[in-house]
Amino acid sequence: MTRITLGSAVLRGTVATALMASLMSTSALGAPPVDLSKWSPEYVRSIAGTQDFDTAADCAKVTPLDYKGRLTFWYQGVFEGDPDLLRQYYKEFFETFRKTYPNIQLEEQALTYNDLLDKFRTALLGNAAPMAVRLQILGGTEFASKGYLEPLKPEDVGYSTDDFWPGAMKAVTWEDVTYGIPTNNETMAFIWNADIFKRAGLDPDKPPATWDDVVKYSKQIHDKLGIAGYGLVARKNAGNTPYRFMPQLWAYGGGVFDEATANPTYEEVQLGSPQSKAALQASYDMYVRDKSVPVSALTNQQADNQPLFLAGQLGMMISHPSDYDVMLDLQKKATGTDKDKAQTVIDNMRYGLIPTGPDGKRAVVFGGSNIHILKPEYVEGGKVDEPAAKAIICMWASPEWSLKMAYAGSNPGNLNGFKTKWMKERLDNIEFLDVTTSMLPYGIPFPALPQSPEIMNIIVPDMLQNALTGAMTVDQAADDAAQKVKDLMGGL
Amino acid sequence: MTIVTGKAEARRILQPGKSGLLRKIWEHRADYAYVLPAIAVMLIVIAYPIYYTIELSFFKTPPGLQLRDKTFIGFDNYTTILASRVFWKVTWNTLIWTVGSTFISFVLGFAAALALHRDFIGRGVLRAVLIVPWVISAVAASYIWRWIYHSDFGIIGAVLVGLGLADRPPNFIDSVSTVLPSLIVVNIWREFPFAMIMMMAGLQTVPEQLLSAAKVDGASAWQRFWHVTFPHLRNVSTVTILLLAVANFNSFIIPWIMTGGGPSNASHIWITHIYELAFGRQLWGVASAYSVLLFLILMTLGYFYVRALSGNERKEGSA
Repeated sequence: MTRITLGSAVLRGTVATALMASLMSTSALGAPPVDLSKWSPEYVRSIAGTQDFDTAADCAKVTPLDYKGRLTFWYQGVFEGDPDLLRQYYKEFFETFRKTYPNIQLEEQALTYNDLLDKFRTALLGNAAPMAVRLQILGGTEFASKGYLEPLKPEDVGYSTDDFWPGAMKAVTWEDVTYGIPTNNETMAFIWNADIFKRAGLDPDKPPATWDDVVKYSKQIHDKLGIAGYGLVARKNAGNTPYRFMPQLWAYGGGVFDEATANPTYEEVQLGSPQSKAALQASYDMYVRDKSVPVSALTNQQADNQPLFLAGQLGMMISHPSDYDVMLDLQKKATGTDKDKAQTVIDNMRYGLIPTGPDGKRAVVFGGSNIHILKPEYVEGGKVDEPAAKAIICMWASPEWSLKMAYAGSNPGNLNGFKTKWMKERLDNIEFLDVTTSMLPYGIPFPALPQSPEIMNIIVPDMLQNALTGAMTVDQAADDAAQKVKDLMGGL
Repeated sequence: MTIVTGKAEARRILQPGKSGLLRKIWEHRADYAYVLPAIAVMLIVIAYPIYYTIELSFFKTPPGLQLRDKTFIGFDNYTTILASRVFWKVTWNTLIWTVGSTFISFVLGFAAALALHRDFIGRGVLRAVLIVPWVISAVAASYIWRWIYHSDFGIIGAVLVGLGLADRPPNFIDSVSTVLPSLIVVNIWREFPFAMIMMMAGLQTVPEQLLSAAKVDGASAWQRFWHVTFPHLRNVSTVTILLLAVANFNSFIIPWIMTGGGPSNASHIWITHIYELAFGRQLWGVASAYSVLLFLILMTLGYFYVRALSGNERKEGSA
């Protein structure tokens, strides 16, 4: 039995090629350390473990290891939905940094994805921001456009722009100036429970090919077994919502703007297009018409779907490969017969590509995080210790640590990370990792606009909630959201 | 013409017996000195933010620009708010939330106080148990109630389905029609012990002689309550209701943690909406205008609160 239905289908289709071209489209693309045009699970395996890197020696060229200084640093850290393995690597990173730079007094603060932006914005208003910050990919352009960030490019910390995903570099670029460095980049995958599929009369080894199939499968699972079919997430102000709905929106041919095209201009709002409405209709059909998804989808996050899935109460969901490790962590905490039930679910956990739209378009959010340095006037004390900030940025963005900090679920922002021995080890240890690397070519970055956080965290979830609660019809909800985006872009 | 120097003039004015008001101030100079640090702190942490919020409410603060790039727009933020459909929806939600939570918390708290005022075995334990919701952290309580209400695997739903009383778990917080009442229940659960404590304290002040005299005169239990006990509790009731109303107008934790104002804005109240406008959408000017309106409402409630307290003091003074 094949556990992953991927194989050579990875780079198939012209859509994937176009999206790949989008991710690669940058003038700086000269000689990247990996050949993105050959990207496939096999290629990733072939380059893993082919090069050694000495992080301390590399970073010593940027900031001497005996440098004495002080650094305040905030970062998007691990949260309740992450596996313990990731917690361990975060702990190890800061221990290693302190050993490598014993004279830098580091004051770090971890914040969750959903809290970081609000807290960071507030701190900026009071000129009390940290000297350096690691933000979600969505936040870079907002703060760069407002003038809070210092220009910072990979070359400033000893790397080359070619060492990073071109699509990720777009997310840290505002008006042709680079303001940050990607630390990790990721694309999610489709997860299903083969046992539930079998009991519902579906092929256990065949995931839904299209989003229309997801709607049908979800209904079939619910009707046959009385459990939720698909793990819809529609909570507001939660990163999980756009990460799960946007792939659906793009697959149907919709979008907020034209961000799914090779060269987006972000000029025309497309949330009210028939394609966008079709995507919203699919969610409506699952939630309202078929009642085949969790009722709690409007207040849920992915962290709420995980225990549902482990309890065998959810058939399908979108998430990282790290969810496999999360399931193992949760299973360890279960007791009695629950432990065996959880093991059955884990044994039947399958990963595949995210379904396509009716026209064969496959898409996924090209996510990740970036690291930035603040301008002194917005920092507490009015001073930034730049060498100290560059030291931590050099370490985090290194091939070694950009891989280790993304070990279980994401991928290294620094493409050289794929060549390290830890990547080879990771390919052997982390189940379903191939799926993530296989989805990368289908990744679409969020619009590189300062307004993106509001669009993705408030307007898009509001649109979903308005349609799913019946507060508006699908058409009204989509048109209302389109108007809100237009108003926002018009400065209202 | 006599020329008086500044110092001499000040000494003359401040001399006791020369001016009533200044004399009083002079007599209490030590008291003023004691409260000066507190007043200074209040001016810094309360007065300045209020001034800045009022100032900001007259500016447009586009989300794509820094706050210092704001532009003066007069009363536009206020007219925008009053013309907004969301404003009226959120205001209606806030009224339901405040009135519902305050009234029911007070009634339940009063009833519990009356019950616990009598002497019976286990009264102390029961009193301690009933205070528990009030001492639990609001954040922890919100998370616990989110799980209790969970629309797929909440405790209430599991019990109802287990007992065969429902086919599927009831939808408490994922429905626009049930979310606000569900949150009000949580708020009442947390607040009624406060009302209970206040009213229990009030009940201690009701003179036993009056109740005994009324009993001797043949008054029924209801008559003793209505004509003796209740009049004595009028002021403490007013203060309790006002304090509850102010706290409820200012509520943030329960609705924000449990629903974030959703679904579809159905549980947004003023404070959560202001938070979203300011920190989620960075519309600082609009959020400030909302805050100014809220401030005026709370000041009005505060005025009545102070008046009720003053009334108490006057009565006690004349007694």
